[in-house]
Amino acid sequence: MAAPQRARPWLLLTHRQALGLMLLPYLLGLVGLIIIPALLALGLAFTQYDGLSLPRWTGWRNFTLLFADLRFWAALKNSLFFAGVAVPLRGLGALALALLLNPPRQGAGFYRAAIYLPTVIPDVAYALIWLWVFNPVYGPLNLLLINLGLPAPVWLVDPDLAKPALSLMSLFQIGEGFVIVLAGLQTIPREVLESAALDGSNRWQVVWHVILPLLTPWLALLTVRDLIMSLQNTFTPALIMTGGGPYYATLFLNHLAYEEAFDGFRFGQGAAILLLIVVISAALLGGLWVLIQRWGDQSDD
Amino acid sequence: MKSSRPLLIKLIVIQILLGGCQAAPTTQQPPPETVAPATPTSNVSFMIFGDPAELQAYQNLVKAYDAKFPGEKIELIHIPDQADYRQRLAADFAAGTPADVVLINYRRFSVLAEKGALEPLGPYLEKSPLIHAADFYPEAILAFQWGRRGLMCIPQNISSLVVYYNKDLFQAAGLAYPSADWTWDDFLATAQALTLDQDGDGHTDQHGLGVEPTLQRVAPFIWQNGGDVVRIERSVWTRELALDDPLALEAIRWFVALQLTHHVVPNAVDEEAENSESRFLNGRVAMYLNSRRGVPTYRTITAFDWDVAPLPRKRWRRSGVLHADGYCLPAVSAHKAAAWQFIEFANSVEGQTLVARSGRTVPSLKVVAESPAFLDPAAKPLNSRVFLDTLPHLRMLPRVTNWPDIEEIANDEIERAFYGQADVVEAIHAAVVRTEEYFP
Repeated sequence: MAAPQRARPWLLLTHRQALGLMLLPYLLGLVGLIIIPALLALGLAFTQYDGLSLPRWTGWRNFTLLFADLRFWAALKNSLFFAGVAVPLRGLGALALALLLNPPRQGAGFYRAAIYLPTVIPDVAYALIWLWVFNPVYGPLNLLLINLGLPAPVWLVDPDLAKPALSLMSLFQIGEGFVIVLAGLQTIPREVLESAALDGSNRWQVVWHVILPLLTPWLALLTVRDLIMSLQNTFTPALIMTGGGPYYATLFLNHLAYEEAFDGFRFGQGAAILLLIVVISAALLGGLWVLIQRWGDQSDD
Repeated sequence: MKSSRPLLIKLIVIQILLGGCQAAPTTQQPPPETVAPATPTSNVSFMIFGDPAELQAYQNLVKAYDAKFPGEKIELIHIPDQADYRQRLAADFAAGTPADVVLINYRRFSVLAEKGALEPLGPYLEKSPLIHAADFYPEAILAFQWGRRGLMCIPQNISSLVVYYNKDLFQAAGLAYPSADWTWDDFLATAQALTLDQDGDGHTDQHGLGVEPTLQRVAPFIWQNGGDVVRIERSVWTRELALDDPLALEAIRWFVALQLTHHVVPNAVDEEAENSESRFLNGRVAMYLNSRRGVPTYRTITAFDWDVAPLPRKRWRRSGVLHADGYCLPAVSAHKAAAWQFIEFANSVEGQTLVARSGRTVPSLKVVAESPAFLDPAAKPLNSRVFLDTLPHLRMLPRVTNWPDIEEIANDEIERAFYGQADVVEAIHAAVVRTEEYFP
């Protein structure tokens, strides 16, 4: 196998060099757009920097200021709430819909496309649509609830309901997770399912003992991705729909970082929050990793 | 496996189709930036905020400038929302690429002035053959002075908070229009008479009053009551808000009671459903507190007649709160001479007359403010003189460098009290404590 490769050198480069050359644009982008800015932000987190004069080293001061600010604790709590409630629900939703729509049946294609649709709507438009949906007086959701004789919650106005409302709207943007699980389901050989059925397993047992263990890597991928995203993509809906209110009930860490940096000219403080987001992401992923390992061990048994 | 490829293709097709459609919802929003067609090099960029009706005023100004100086081109950058505008400004200044001319409120320029990010305009004004400091209202000039750096920006306006009112609703309720010396009690009684549950379903359909629960809105009432926003000792602003002083607190309580006790202002749910300004535009809020800024938009109202009245007063004090924006020139601008030429034109009698005609400003040039461009009885509001009568009583909000932070936190707390989510004393105490760290 090696000989013909050597006989046809591509621009006289070795395979390794050619690979490196092809990767180069990506690596340049990665270094220039992600790694260097991230390192700069890491450094900025320990400075006082207003963007107008040079940064001044202040050590841990940004962090002590943050920890003394009630907005930070509210934002931390809200971000963890979203990660803890919306991510599992989104995962479950994607899984349930994929299980439902995996078998080829009448209209499955239409429903699959319909589930994916909300995912391709631009975030700003999506937030504006839901701002209308959640309108406490004129919104279709409350009009429906009232007509059904049900109580009409005041969604974004009630500090206790605003976060659940934002979580609820995020449940309709699970198209990508849905596609991932669907792809995962289609890698499961039909014979495995058929033999499980022959052994007398009911549908629920097949899902629990066969499909879920085989899907573990896919679900893990999905959850890891969603967990990271959940700390980032709360920004647009919160900024557009609630501005972080009522009284910080929907203020998330990313939004607070943005406000500190771009409204308060405190780029150091903003960078400190971003650093904390990275640390929190890492901790959450670590926790998730442990969970996945346990799940894997269990299913091996 | 079989169905996965058609699915993928379908999804891609949908994504492409929707990608094409995506423009539709976003273009229905006001465009984030309205940029004149780019022409090479010495373009002067000019960044403003405001509603479409306000934008029109500045487009007219730019058009007149282009006609007068055919070689020069002004590139108008329009950010609709004021909060977005501030963030855009911060990002632009931090990146070292602000527009050549930027409009900034007097409550927000100080951090830029302090850091040397703005070109002091005092020396330019002194040399100008076209505009002179003595022609401006001194209060407007004073608002943009920054210590020994002198005058930082040229004020375009000297506006203040007034009461916009729907004349038709007053007539329908058989009420006399507000008088020039109406009191807090008159104001409340009027608002109560105009708050109606028309269909008797227990839900208010028409509110007497609309007002944003912010420090800027409540400040004149605090001053009228003899209180202060920031504690002043030996004519120097000290390091804390004075909102918890008895006189200030009394005024805030009165302000909060308008919503919480008297229900003449929409509550949090009604405000979320449709904000007060929109309700005023639609004839369902009878009085609305705003500065002159609202006029270009309110002039589009055809369904009813409206006018302005002065703020009610507590006893004899007639305090009002200054609203003023200035044309500022960033120190890093590469086109300072051209930028100044535009600032000079915008604040000449000709330039200010153009913008004043749109209704956007209470001109800072005395001669324009006293001219038909501003006082024209054929253009609404009929009683524009209210703005000029208030001038001697105007007070400034503090211009400490972190004032925007202080105001934002105070607003969060005032809003909480206003909508009954916290006790007034608790919220105001929180505002005082939480803002301490932001004072210099």
